[in-house]
Amino acid sequence: MTIRPPSLPRLSAFTRRRTGLILAGLAVMAISGAANGRQQATPISMDIGDEPGRVATAEQIVEDGPFARQLVFFRSAEPPGTIVIHTSERFLYVVQGNNRALRYGIGVGREGFQWSGLVRVSRKAEWPDWTPPPEMIARQPYLPRFMAGGPGNPMGARALYLGSTVYRIHGTNQPETIGHAVSSGCFRLANGDVIDLFERIAVGAKVIIRHGASI
Amino acid sequence: MMVSASSASLIRAGIPAILLLLLGGCGTTIDESVTTPGALTERPATFRNEQLIGKWGVASYREEKDRRRVEAQARAQCRLPYVIAKGPSDGVMMHLADDAKLYELRIKGGSDGKTYLGPEAPPGEWQDREILSITDKEMIMRFVDPEVHGRYGTFIYVRCPG
Repeated sequence: MTIRPPSLPRLSAFTRRRTGLILAGLAVMAISGAANGRQQATPISMDIGDEPGRVATAEQIVEDGPFARQLVFFRSAEPPGTIVIHTSERFLYVVQGNNRALRYGIGVGREGFQWSGLVRVSRKAEWPDWTPPPEMIARQPYLPRFMAGGPGNPMGARALYLGSTVYRIHGTNQPETIGHAVSSGCFRLANGDVIDLFERIAVGAKVIIRHGASI
Repeated sequence: MMVSASSASLIRAGIPAILLLLLGGCGTTIDESVTTPGALTERPATFRNEQLIGKWGVASYREEKDRRRVEAQARAQCRLPYVIAKGPSDGVMMHLADDAKLYELRIKGGSDGKTYLGPEAPPGEWQDREILSITDKEMIMRFVDPEVHGRYGTFIYVRCPG
């Protein structure tokens, strides 16, 4: 596993213990930031592949820093319950009304795999199954071609399927990738955060993905 | 640097073991029934290496309730099959856990009555798989290493047509 992380979100105590072991020797730079207002996440890619089989628990959340789940000021004409994703910021917002939104730190598509659009949540799943893409099988031929949902599954604890696209908002067994551009176009949250999101969002919810520079 | 299958496996087995000791009770579900390495002696095996040769659809599951649908998924994976070829010493060429290199493995009967698949070493070693069943159309295996088994679960191989 090759990692070039300039910064990592601070994770829950369990996550820190585990990733601390896994990432031993890497310098971890703390991310500071106020609880309110928009903050620009560092748009730097993290060179890390999926790690199927690596176990993450449902309790993992981003504990503090800008990528922690928090209520923020968010001016929007969208109705409450709408998801707005700012790919460049690495944030997902759930509109709450009264110029407020609940904000989650996310991992986004790596360069060339980012996109924008308007879709709706077409389906929700707990502990979704995972089918590794062919290029991953080529690199890691020992992998099963299909893995039933569970803690060792890169899809994590929950998934929200986006329209008829191949993209999803899902959990991850790599919570240290939150805040980075690492995926093939999906949006990933720490498992504890995606479970929280899953409970708040209904099938049919509007999802706006913005790829450009933030306001 | 050349690393043999055995030493590489020992390293792999050792690191997760240390992690498990440090992270005990951290949520990994490990099937206690999985064999841990011991001083097994080799007995004649129930299955033959040749039974493994061919193209297989492969899928894995962790909970028994998923087994039937995962079996169907394994069948569907024949578009990207796992190919097992005959090895130079009458074994079969397959991968060990988390290792993209091919090794020659062979079936080994254990003195515990179980059947194992792994490199040249006593049956039930860390890098071995335990073969739970083999028929002409399907085989089911799991890794002996509890940490690896806990991550990947049980593998179903369904023979691909042709």
